[in-house]
Amino acid sequence: MIAALIIFLAMSILFGFLLGYASVRLKVEGNPLAEQINQVLPQTQCGQCGFPGCKPYAEALAAGESEVNLCIPGGHKTMIEIAEITHREPKELAETPSETHQKLVAKIDESLCIGCVHCIKACPVDAIVGATKKMHTVIEQECTGCELCVPVCPVDCIEMIPEPIALHNWSWPEPSQQTRGDLNRYGSTENAHLLLKNAAGENK
Amino acid sequence: MIQTLSALKVSLIKWFARFYPMAKRNLYHFHGGIFPQYHKELSLSHPLKRGIIPKILVLPLRQHLGIRTEAKVKVGDRVLKNQCIADTKKGLSAPIHAPTSGKVIAIEPRYKPHPSGLKKLSIVIETDGLDECIDNVLDVKGNIPNDPLALKEIVHRAGIVGMGGAGFPTFAKLPEKPGIVKNLLINGAECEPFITCDDMLMQTHADEIIKGAQIVGQALGIERILFGIEDNKQKAIQAVTKACENTHIEIRPVMTVYPMGGQTQLIQELLGMEVPSEHHAIDVGVLMMNVATLRAIYHAVIHGSPLISRFVTISGLGLEEPFNAEALLGTSFLELAEMAAPKQPINYPLIQGGPMMGMALHENNVPIIKTTNCVLANPPEPVEPVMPCIRCGECMDACPINLLPQQLYWHSRNHEFDRVEKLKVFDCIECGCCSFVCPSHIPLVQYYRHAKSAIKEIKHKEAIAKLAQKRHEFKLERLAREKAERDAKIKAKKAAVKQKTAQSASTKGSASAAAAAKAAAMKQKKQAASESGTETVLSARDNAIALAKKRAQAAKDSSKKTPQIPHKPTQVTRQKTIEADRQMDKNTKPSEAGTEVPKDKSSTTDDASKRRAAAIAAARQKAKKSAQKQEDLHEA
Repeated sequence: MIAALIIFLAMSILFGFLLGYASVRLKVEGNPLAEQINQVLPQTQCGQCGFPGCKPYAEALAAGESEVNLCIPGGHKTMIEIAEITHREPKELAETPSETHQKLVAKIDESLCIGCVHCIKACPVDAIVGATKKMHTVIEQECTGCELCVPVCPVDCIEMIPEPIALHNWSWPEPSQQTRGDLNRYGSTENAHLLLKNAAGENK
Repeated sequence: MIQTLSALKVSLIKWFARFYPMAKRNLYHFHGGIFPQYHKELSLSHPLKRGIIPKILVLPLRQHLGIRTEAKVKVGDRVLKNQCIADTKKGLSAPIHAPTSGKVIAIEPRYKPHPSGLKKLSIVIETDGLDECIDNVLDVKGNIPNDPLALKEIVHRAGIVGMGGAGFPTFAKLPEKPGIVKNLLINGAECEPFITCDDMLMQTHADEIIKGAQIVGQALGIERILFGIEDNKQKAIQAVTKACENTHIEIRPVMTVYPMGGQTQLIQELLGMEVPSEHHAIDVGVLMMNVATLRAIYHAVIHGSPLISRFVTISGLGLEEPFNAEALLGTSFLELAEMAAPKQPINYPLIQGGPMMGMALHENNVPIIKTTNCVLANPPEPVEPVMPCIRCGECMDACPINLLPQQLYWHSRNHEFDRVEKLKVFDCIECGCCSFVCPSHIPLVQYYRHAKSAIKEIKHKEAIAKLAQKRHEFKLERLAREKAERDAKIKAKKAAVKQKTAQSASTKGSASAAAAAKAAAMKQKKQAASESGTETVLSARDNAIALAKKRAQAAKDSSKKTPQIPHKPTQVTRQKTIEADRQMDKNTKPSEAGTEVPKDKSSTTDDASKRRAAAIAAARQKAKKSAQKQEDLHEA
C-alpha cells in the first residue's frame, strides 16, 4: 500500500517535471489557430469584415471574438473553411458576394488624377505608385481588388474593372449539359473526335 | 529459336485479334491504346502542293510555348523573305521570320488557332508575289557545329520549335553539355488519323531529315540514333532506309496504334523504359525530335534559312481532293481548305490538328502557325447524347499512361481538385483514348482539361494571396518603423526644450539657485554625453582621463546610432514621406513652428541648428497626428 503510494507519487512528480519542462522548451509562439485561419483568408486586406486586415480578423476569430461569416471576398467557401477550423456552426454570409468570379482590379483614369496621394495611403499592399501632384497608377499584378482606394479619391477617377481575359488566364470551360447537347456545332472547343465518332470509328 | 517463338506468338495474337481486336494491345510495350480508322489514304492519294503564296499572311507574335516576341517592323515596312520580323531577348521564345516578301499592312490582334478563340497581336503581311529573299540570313558557314551551345544558338535564331504539336522552343530542349543525351529518337510515328504530313515529308525529304539527325547527333555527342516509324507507312520506311545507308542510324518500324507518337509512349516502345512522372525525357538521357523539326534544323545549320514554312495536311471527309502542302506560315486555314474542292460550303468549324487531339475552331480564317500539322474539314454529324457513367472500366484499359480516368472524372465533376491532382491529372497527355472508348460518350478529356486549368488558377490565386500578405506585412512594418522614428524625434525635441529652459534659468540667475545649479549640472552632463565633450574645463588629471574614456565611448555610441536612422524604403515610400512632410511643413509653419523659432534664436550654442531641426520635426509630428485624427473623424 505504502509502496504503491510512493511509486505513484514519484511518478506524478516525475511527469509533472517532464510536462513543466516540455511546456517551457516546446512553447509555441503566437496562436497557431490564427495563423491557420489566416492561411485560408483571401488576403485582399479589404477590411470589409470590420478589421483592419486579414490577420487581425484571423486573430479575432481564433480568440472567439468574431463571427465566421464576415469575409465577403472569400465567399461561402472560406466561411466553411473557417467554421471547420474553429469548430463552429457555419453561418450564411452577411452580404452576398458579387456574382462575377472574375478578378477586379483598380484602374486610375490618369487624365483626371490630381495627385493627392489619398489612394496611396489607403492601399493596403502598396500597389499604387505616384507622388504629390504627380499622376498615380496601379500596379495591376499587385492589386488585390479590395476597393479601398475608390471612396478616398476626391475626383472619383478610380474605377474597378474586370481583368481582361488573355491566354494566360483563359481556362477551359467545364463541359455542361448545354454544350454537350447541341453537339459542338459552332464555337465549342470540345475534343474534335467527339464530332467524329463515326468518321474515326473503331476499326474492326 | 526464341525468334521463331515470338513470331509464332505475334501471329497467334494477330489471328485472335480478328475476334477480339483489343488483343493487339499485347503487341507493343505501353499500356492501353486504341485502333481507330486512319483515313490516311485520303490525303496521300493526291500530290504534294508547293509554292502557294496567298495574298495575305498573318503571323501571330507567339507561335510557341513561352514568352511573346516583339515586332521589329513597323506598319508600312517592306519585308523580304527570311527577314526576322519579331524577336525578344527575354527567355523562352522563338523569333519569327517573314515567309515571303511583301509589305506589313497591320500589326493588330487577329484570331489565332487556339481553343480560346481570342484575338492575339499579329503581324499582317500583304505579299507581292516576287518572293525576294535574303540568302543565308542566319549567317552560317555550312559546317556542322561540334559544340551544343553553337547548335543551340543557330536553332534559336532560326526560330525552330517542336513541330510535332507541342511547340516548345527547340533550343531550350537541347542540353548545354555534350554527353547528357545518350539516345536520340526520331519521331516519325504520326499516329493521329487523317494526318500524313510527316509521312509525306519522310517520303520526299528523307535525306534532309537524316542529315538533321546527324547534325544533332554530332553536336551533342550522341552515340545511338533510333528512327521510329509506324509500320503502316511502308513507302516512308523504304525512303528512309535508302537515306540511312552508310550511317549508324537504326530504323525501327513500330506497331500501328494510337497514341504511338506520344513522347513517353515511343520512348517506352523503342527503349523499354518509362519516363518518371514529373520528369522530362532528358532526365533519362533521351532526346526526341519530330522529323519536321530535324529538317528545319538541317536547313538552319547548312543553308542558314529560318523556319518559314511547314508541311501541313489538308484533309477530311468534307473535301473532294485532300492534299499535303508545304505551306508558308501565316496562310489561312480556310484558303487551304477551299483549294481542296470542298463537297459543301465550309460553314462549319474546321479542326486544327487530328480528330483525336485537335480542336474545333471558333473562327475558320486563322493562320497556319509553326505547330499546325493538319487542317481537318469534317462536316459535323449528329452525335449520341451523353449517358451516365456505367463504371465499365474501358477508359482505364485504354489509358496509355496508366491513369485512372474514371476516378479523375468523378473528382473533376465534383470539383475535388486536390484529389484530381493527387491522381496525377498533370501526367495526362490529353490523347483522348478514354473518351474514344467510353460507351456513355462522356467528354472525359474536356473534364481533365477543365480540372487542369482550375488547379492552375487555384495555385495562381494562392501565389497572389501570398504576395498580397507579404506586401501588407511590409507596409505595416514600414508604418511601425515610421512611428518609432517619429517618437524618437519627439523625445529628442523634449530633451532639447528641457535643456533650453535650464540654460535660460542659469543665465538669468533666478532665486532658486539650488535648482539652477542642479539643472546646470544636468545640462553639463548631457552635453558631455551628446556633444562628446565640448567641455575641457576639468582640472584634475584623473578626471581628464576618465572624461577621455567617456568621450571615446560616446563617440562610439553615436557612430553606432547614426547609421540606424537612415532606412531603405522603396522609392515610392520615400517620395511619399518627403511629400507628406513638405505638406505638413506648410501647415505647421504659421502656427506652431512660428512660436518655436524665436526661442531657438536666443540660444547661441553651435548645436542650435540641430535643436531647431528637432523642434521642427516634433512640430510636424504633432501636426500630422492632428491631421490624421481629423481624417479619422471624417471617415468615421
